[in-house]
Amino acid sequence: MLAISALSVFGIIVLFLGFSNNKSALMLAAMLSLLATFGLALYEWQHPEITPAVAAGMMSFDNLSILFTAVLLVTGILLLPLSERFLVDPKAQPAEYYAILLFSMVGAIMMVTFDNLIMLFLGLEILSISLYVLTGSDKRNLLANEAALKYFLMGAFATGVLLYGVAMLYGAAGSFSLSDIALYVQDNHDNLSPMLYIGLFMMLVGMLFKLSVAPFHWWTADVYTGAPNFFTAYMSTIVKTAGFAALYKILSVSFVGVYDYWFLMLAICAVLTLCIGNLTATAQQSFKRMMAYSGVSHAGYMLIAVASFSDKTPEAIFFYSLAYSIATITAFAALMRVADTKGSADFAAFYGLAKTNPFLSFALTVSMLSLAGIPLTAGFMGKLFVFMSALEQGHVALVVAAVLMSAVGVYYYLRVVIAMYMREGNGVAVTLSPRFRVVLIATTVLTILLGVVPSLVAGAL
Amino acid sequence: MNAEASELALELALIPLIPLIGFIINGLGFGKLNKTVAGWLGTLAALGSFANTLHVVLEHWGQSLTVDYFSWISVGSLDIHFSFLLDPLSSIMLLVITGVGSLIHIYSMSYMHHDEGFGKFFAFLNLFLFSMLLLVMGSNYVVMFIGWEGVGLCSFLLIGFWNKVPAYNAAARKAFVMNRIGDLGFLLGIFILIALFGSVEFGVIFPQAAAVLTPNSGVAIALTMLLFVGAMGKSAQLPLYTWLPDAMAGPTPVSALIHAATMVTAGIYMVVRSNVLYVLAPTTLEFVAWIGLATALIGAAIGLFQNDIKKVLAYSTVSQLGLMFLALGVGAFSSGMFHVVTHAFFKALLFLGAGSVIHAMSDEQDIRKMGGLKGKLPVTFAVFLIATIAISGIPPFAGFFSKDEILSHVYEHSKLMWGLGLLVSFMTSFYMFRLVFLTFFGGFRGTDHQKHHLHESPWLMLGPLVVLAGLSIAGGLLGLPPVLSHNNWMADTLAPIFEQAKAVNASLFGHGSMTHETEWMLMAVSTVVALVAFAVAAFTFGGGKNVPAADGSPINPVQKLVYNKFYIDELYGAVIVTPIKAFGEYLYAVIEYLIIDLVVNIVGWSATMGGKALRRLQTGIVSFYVLLMVLSVVALALIGFTIKS
Repeated sequence: MLAISALSVFGIIVLFLGFSNNKSALMLAAMLSLLATFGLALYEWQHPEITPAVAAGMMSFDNLSILFTAVLLVTGILLLPLSERFLVDPKAQPAEYYAILLFSMVGAIMMVTFDNLIMLFLGLEILSISLYVLTGSDKRNLLANEAALKYFLMGAFATGVLLYGVAMLYGAAGSFSLSDIALYVQDNHDNLSPMLYIGLFMMLVGMLFKLSVAPFHWWTADVYTGAPNFFTAYMSTIVKTAGFAALYKILSVSFVGVYDYWFLMLAICAVLTLCIGNLTATAQQSFKRMMAYSGVSHAGYMLIAVASFSDKTPEAIFFYSLAYSIATITAFAALMRVADTKGSADFAAFYGLAKTNPFLSFALTVSMLSLAGIPLTAGFMGKLFVFMSALEQGHVALVVAAVLMSAVGVYYYLRVVIAMYMREGNGVAVTLSPRFRVVLIATTVLTILLGVVPSLVAGAL
Repeated sequence: MNAEASELALELALIPLIPLIGFIINGLGFGKLNKTVAGWLGTLAALGSFANTLHVVLEHWGQSLTVDYFSWISVGSLDIHFSFLLDPLSSIMLLVITGVGSLIHIYSMSYMHHDEGFGKFFAFLNLFLFSMLLLVMGSNYVVMFIGWEGVGLCSFLLIGFWNKVPAYNAAARKAFVMNRIGDLGFLLGIFILIALFGSVEFGVIFPQAAAVLTPNSGVAIALTMLLFVGAMGKSAQLPLYTWLPDAMAGPTPVSALIHAATMVTAGIYMVVRSNVLYVLAPTTLEFVAWIGLATALIGAAIGLFQNDIKKVLAYSTVSQLGLMFLALGVGAFSSGMFHVVTHAFFKALLFLGAGSVIHAMSDEQDIRKMGGLKGKLPVTFAVFLIATIAISGIPPFAGFFSKDEILSHVYEHSKLMWGLGLLVSFMTSFYMFRLVFLTFFGGFRGTDHQKHHLHESPWLMLGPLVVLAGLSIAGGLLGLPPVLSHNNWMADTLAPIFEQAKAVNASLFGHGSMTHETEWMLMAVSTVVALVAFAVAAFTFGGGKNVPAADGSPINPVQKLVYNKFYIDELYGAVIVTPIKAFGEYLYAVIEYLIIDLVVNIVGWSATMGGKALRRLQTGIVSFYVLLMVLSVVALALIGFTIKS
């Protein structure tokens, strides 16, 4: 609660700082805002009584929420320095970007702390609308405009479906509160209103759309490709973490009683997502587009964790989203530098990178190995937690599908590694600014550290 | 954890960590650090570890302490900890490894001084120390196995240290492959232990062993046999011994440290550590004894006619390791360990002495081209002679006592084995004195250039030699026979290790029914045998007579058979390597190419096609996407509805 209130104020302050001409102060201000919010979020650790007192049952900051908030904020903190191009680009509007980014973060945090469907809807929309704007922030770029419009049109459609579902749930349970719905499901277990099933179904469709889960993922590739690289990185990490945390929260609090019903839907979608995401990614020529499908496929793994619904699930989602976010930040940092230098986001742009910038190549390799789930990286441990959570509930078939598809993943993740190390480049050197270097060192070290000693964070719950 | 315990934990951890730090600095700094810094860094790491070992071991002498660091692998009910064990057995091994290791580091600073890979050499040497220390300190089979694999890796790296010579790389590969065969056995043994005991911890397995394993049951024999296969590979026993002579391709200090004093005794250490398991499988013990004896005989026999100074020593090592296994096989575990220690002293000395000779001879290793070196290399000659007397089993030097102790146990076990053991003893003494006479006596047979260059080695090399010579002389005091003293230090110290085995079969560990007269007789016989062998060697080769002919000149068939190592390498080549290679080529050409590749390609192709097909759905048209979404929603709803009702 403290975090959300403070961050909203910070966002307004950053917006007004835009009147001054000192652009680098803006990044500093945004960074300090995120750090301060991080501190405030941690302040509520082990003190779940602070928020409900003022939030009137609309939201709660329990330890799990704080962990997810921490993942979101760490992602933001690591990403922020990568936006340095806005500071020198005369046509960029960094004050607005940063302010919107902070507001969207408020939405994301609401999505991991809500206790009431209204708050979920609010958070989701704050996040989504911010992202529509940020996607189209590069006003002169036609592709970005197209992407923003597409995102908005389809997002509005999905929001409609979601809202319809929420209304149905209200019709069935007579309340928006998660605990009231849970009570309703529990008390009327043998005689549930069909409206509850329809409502849950519609709401899940809306959520899965936002999480780019197949078969509702069609917007993902186009929007990710069209958006400016920095915002693609932002949305592909933040939305996943917040969305899966929200999905798990609704299902685990309100709908335990109808597990059989939603398990089937999630399982079908998970397998579809894994197949479509991974297979389509193999056919891409552009690294950025490959990363978009990679994002789709990772939604599949996380969906397995949610669907398996064991006592290990929260830990699995938390660790997986952290591992995925960190590796994705590295990948997009590399992409930004390569695309800015060579003007292309294709695999060909990465040819010979190992010769001109061995450090960047190493960092990107570690990130690709982590995304592919190779041992000694955080990604491997993340997959391990997810699969263990599924196996604990006996969902062997799901795990087999996921393992097979992660083998496909190795193919396209290693393509960029091969491009960097085994192909001749044109000799144009890709350089790194100190900010990029610091971020890349942090993400690479974290990826390896979490892969070797996962207990650093995995035991936090 | 209280203060004392955490202090112990830190001190114990430092024993392997100091060499590891040395490895990291030298490994990262290779090419940047100058030779003096790199050499002293590596040597100080070894010395530091030795000093620390000495401190820890003396402070906790005679205790058995386990220090648990962290839970390392936890799968299901199996929980493997990373933990160290400090007890008399590991203490003795630690002292030998760090002590002899330090001397060899000092020696190497001078010996390797002209080598361009100087820093790399010290990095590897430190890494070896680290792995070897892990091997003997681990309090369970898995930590031991990490060390086991680590020393194998270092051995591979150091045999192929001069990797520009293809033959050396082949030798390194051979060592690696043979060791892998052994490792597989070891690993399977560990799996059986996990299946039987649900643990790999010594402290859990050994107390339960007698309850879980029926003596001489199939499981007990299978388990101990598999562990022994591991020991065979690492400790170069029949049939996996042929890598060790080839391993002489590595620099001489490596041969001294890894292929004589420490790594090759890992197999003996492992069997001694698992003594209670072996006592429960007498059949395996008998097998171990015979394998050891056969290896000792073959190694000594091949050693008789070798002309390469290091090859003679290598076969001698094979033979002596065989003797140690013979000791273990007859249940004389502490005698085996005793011989490990004395052998570490005199064999390291022999190798380092040989290194000094090779150094003086401008890298010549063929003893036919040496001769008369005693005048030019007086110190080397003196220490080499001491080591020779020690290994030949002439009293009162170290080798006499350990070998005699083994032979007296063998005598109790079987007279036939004892007779064959004496034969080994005879051959050992013979080939060692042959080596001494051909190398140090008579006239010089090398080139003028070599003669001009002859010089005694610097004191940095001679110092360690002198220390080792002292140990080779006095090492016997560690285990005096019952007729001379009531206290056999080695046996008394190690006694706690064998308590569980003693409970199973006390007769193996008694002082035996031997009278003092028999003991005196046995000692006299083995001394006489050694002296006779010396006399024969002196008569044949004294004064540099009967120098073996150059390769290619006609020699009698028996000699030829022995000189060519009984053609065992060729036999392995024809019986094992060629068929496996042919099988491999068949697999490649038919199974791999026609079947596996095809399947893999079809899978890959269908994935690519699938990807392309899916990609076509990605039209970029929003209304089409919305249509797809609506269709999906309807389909999912239908599936959900069907399942529900």
